[in-house]
Amino acid sequence: MSESVVDTVSHQTGETLVDVQDLKTYYEDGGLLGSDPVKAVDGVNFEIARGETFGLVGESGCGKTTLGRTLIQLETATSGAVSFDGTDITELSGGDLKEWRRNAQMVFQDPESSLNDRMTVGEIIREPLDVHEQGTARERREKVRTLLDQVGLMPEHYYRYPHQFSGGQRQRIGIARALALEPEFVVLDEPVSALDVSVQAQILNLLEELQEEFGLTYLFIAHDLSVVRHICDRVGVMYLGNLMEVGPTEQLFQSPENPYTRALLSAIPEPDPTVQVDRITLPGSPPSPRDPPEGCPFATRCPVRIRPEDIDASDAVWDRIREFRDVIRERSRAEQSVGERLKERLGFDTALADSEEIVEEEFDDVTLPPDVQEHVEQAATYLSDGDPDAARAYLREVFGSQCDTETPQYYDVDDRQMSFCHRHAQEHVSPGDELRQRGYDTHDG
Amino acid sequence: MMETEPTEDIDQPLRDRLKAHPGPALLWGAILCVLLLLEGPTYLDGLLGAIGAGLGLLPGAPGAEAFASASAYFGELPHLLSRELIPNRGYYDGSAWQGTFLGLEPKYAWLIRFLLVYAYVAVLLGWLWYGYVLFRRHYRAADWTPTDDVIDRLRSHYWGLFGLAVVVFFVTMAAFAPVIGPTTAEENIEGPYSYDMQYYNEDTETVETVTIGEANLGSASRGSGDSNVGVWSYDDFGRFHPVGTLVSGKDLFTFLAFGARLSLFIGLGSMAIAGFIATTLALVTAYYKGAADLIVVLTSDSVQAMPALLLVILATVVFQNHWISELYNGAMLFILLFALIRWPGLWRAIRGPALQVGEQEWVDAAKSYGQRPTVIMRKHMAPYILGYLLVYASLTLGGVIISVSALSFIGLGINAPTPEWGRAINIGQQYVASQSWHISLIPGLLITLVVTGFNALSDGIRDAIDPQSEGAEGGAAGAAAGGGGG
Repeated sequence: MSESVVDTVSHQTGETLVDVQDLKTYYEDGGLLGSDPVKAVDGVNFEIARGETFGLVGESGCGKTTLGRTLIQLETATSGAVSFDGTDITELSGGDLKEWRRNAQMVFQDPESSLNDRMTVGEIIREPLDVHEQGTARERREKVRTLLDQVGLMPEHYYRYPHQFSGGQRQRIGIARALALEPEFVVLDEPVSALDVSVQAQILNLLEELQEEFGLTYLFIAHDLSVVRHICDRVGVMYLGNLMEVGPTEQLFQSPENPYTRALLSAIPEPDPTVQVDRITLPGSPPSPRDPPEGCPFATRCPVRIRPEDIDASDAVWDRIREFRDVIRERSRAEQSVGERLKERLGFDTALADSEEIVEEEFDDVTLPPDVQEHVEQAATYLSDGDPDAARAYLREVFGSQCDTETPQYYDVDDRQMSFCHRHAQEHVSPGDELRQRGYDTHDG
Repeated sequence: MMETEPTEDIDQPLRDRLKAHPGPALLWGAILCVLLLLEGPTYLDGLLGAIGAGLGLLPGAPGAEAFASASAYFGELPHLLSRELIPNRGYYDGSAWQGTFLGLEPKYAWLIRFLLVYAYVAVLLGWLWYGYVLFRRHYRAADWTPTDDVIDRLRSHYWGLFGLAVVVFFVTMAAFAPVIGPTTAEENIEGPYSYDMQYYNEDTETVETVTIGEANLGSASRGSGDSNVGVWSYDDFGRFHPVGTLVSGKDLFTFLAFGARLSLFIGLGSMAIAGFIATTLALVTAYYKGAADLIVVLTSDSVQAMPALLLVILATVVFQNHWISELYNGAMLFILLFALIRWPGLWRAIRGPALQVGEQEWVDAAKSYGQRPTVIMRKHMAPYILGYLLVYASLTLGGVIISVSALSFIGLGINAPTPEWGRAINIGQQYVASQSWHISLIPGLLITLVVTGFNALSDGIRDAIDPQSEGAEGGAAGAAAGGGGG
């Protein structure tokens, strides 16, 4: 990643503070059945420079909160490294970990849940100081008063309880607690999404002021794209545990490269009602993080997925093939669930019809080319033989491409902007051109 | 927002705040002194006696003698609530009552002492409440705390207050058992032939001396004919029996007061142990989840799968001659048994709230700045489940009282002659349809009342800590109410 200065904010120094290398965080169920782990974060690489605000956006469930929690060691990384100022913090434990914790703090999403209601505001903010035994009791109380003042509260709020404050004020208390140990790095986990719009702006301004004052480095997790555009220097877009695209905020918003980023940004409402926007509506829902697709994580929903050259079919037919593969995929996953199997045996409707019905439902209003027809029938045979896994593998074999088999690499698509997509390779048409070719509007056109 | 004091004053420790405004605190302290002076010897007697008894359990019993004699010394000193100050036992010499308080009838002398005990307890509770109000008004740094709301809600919960009143009545009866009865357990129940009494023989018109045991033979309630001493009546020996006598002629009220002591001791003891186990396990399982949770689930299921009644019966037989069944006539054994049997239920009941509070972000926040797990559990989780524990423990306590009575009823519980309510019900069973109905009925009604009282109190606490559940027919309310049975 180049270090050239495009639109960096004045307080950035360019020096790397957090360096995330191939980080994976899986949730093991620990159940007796030994089921697949949830791959919440599945191999992520990025850097955060000292003093910058790095935004992390994505749909709910894409793993952005887990990534943030792993960065401050609330979750244990499954593999990979998080190097903080040169130290790999995933290796820390015991006293070293506790000592390191004062460098990285978190502001939580829900101010109703992040403050212990049975403690006074003073006790809440003082607790980190007590844990790290900073100064005398009097000095700690003094420090808490200063913090209250710095986040825009009154020193006499010390003996109040969280119940007596509004959502915005409670979030200020949470911020004061995060700043008590004077950390360098703060993870902001959707800090304003639970607040009223008018209060959101106040909190965002406060965060910016505090960053200026204390030279903080932020990881800002959000799903509200306008907030991210307002506050962040650089943005990473996450999908299914992977970072799809990283780049400077304005650049990324103006000219997104990755197909997923394009779809995500096309969902931003256009304030001018006369402008006709053709949104890129993604089909289906994200696959289960227990069973992410091989190859590119976005392959199952991508509007510009690479198609095998030996099959010549219309866009409509490819759409149906994708839907058909989704259904088979669901069926093969369902096969793994004991409950579903039991339900089926007991005669309940498992929401998955017979193979002929599936084929009929999917393809009855399109004319299939003979080779496609043949492949679909072969898959249906596997399915009616009760082997959905074979059907799935067969379909991937005949209709799949590089997107289904190979994990993409990060391509430098622009100055400091990286995208995770096969289409940036020399031999393929770029995502933007392919989108236009397939009849979508693109706003970088 | 009526913050008028400057910042420096808010920071004062409690000591300085007391100094700045000592009036109310001094008044409160003065009331405490009066209350202590009136009953001081009793407290010292009890405290030193308990220490002495504790030392007596140790090998060699070091110093137990000294404590016992010191305890006896204080026991002799005069104090307000004592049999010596307000005696109710005496005899009628044909013209006047001899040996009773101010020469009153035994009935009235006993009633005065009885009411005085409750008056003292009422003043004591009032003093505690007054202290809380004073602290809240004058000395507390915070002008509002979440506990204030809980207490305010409990104050307007009349069913809960009824429960509190019943529980206070019952606890007072247990705590002041030696003072509150018309006679003492030692003289009337345990060793009636070791003590003498005087009575006025109307035939010979003389004052005669008999052993209490002999007198008891004459005051027995056996259903038929003359042999019945019913509620609120005298026997032939001039002794007053507020709720009649037992089949053996012993005083039922004294029996009930000491029985209350035993029931309360077993109930509170087992709930304290079970509650401690349940809370610790709930915190550990909610914090660590996974394997810790699984182990406790399996353990508690195994305990609950055992037939409780059979287990208790088995244990009473197995430990028959063991030293543990000597402690307080086997009450200690029951405490341990019921703690063992009842903790899984308590743990199940508070596991939900514990898991819920374990998911709160403030727990994550505490982890993120490196707070120790034990402190997180104690400070950030325990306060949220203790209310629920109180609710379920007081419900279960009613169940334990019923269980102990049931065991005594079938002859397996606390050994005679130690008073136990269930045994009174058993003894009087065959006289229920006769004029001696009081032997079974009154202990039975008392058990019902006390268990209802504990359930009502737990209802009140639940509604106070969790106002959303108030008036709810099903859900949490129904679940909480379901646990009261034996």
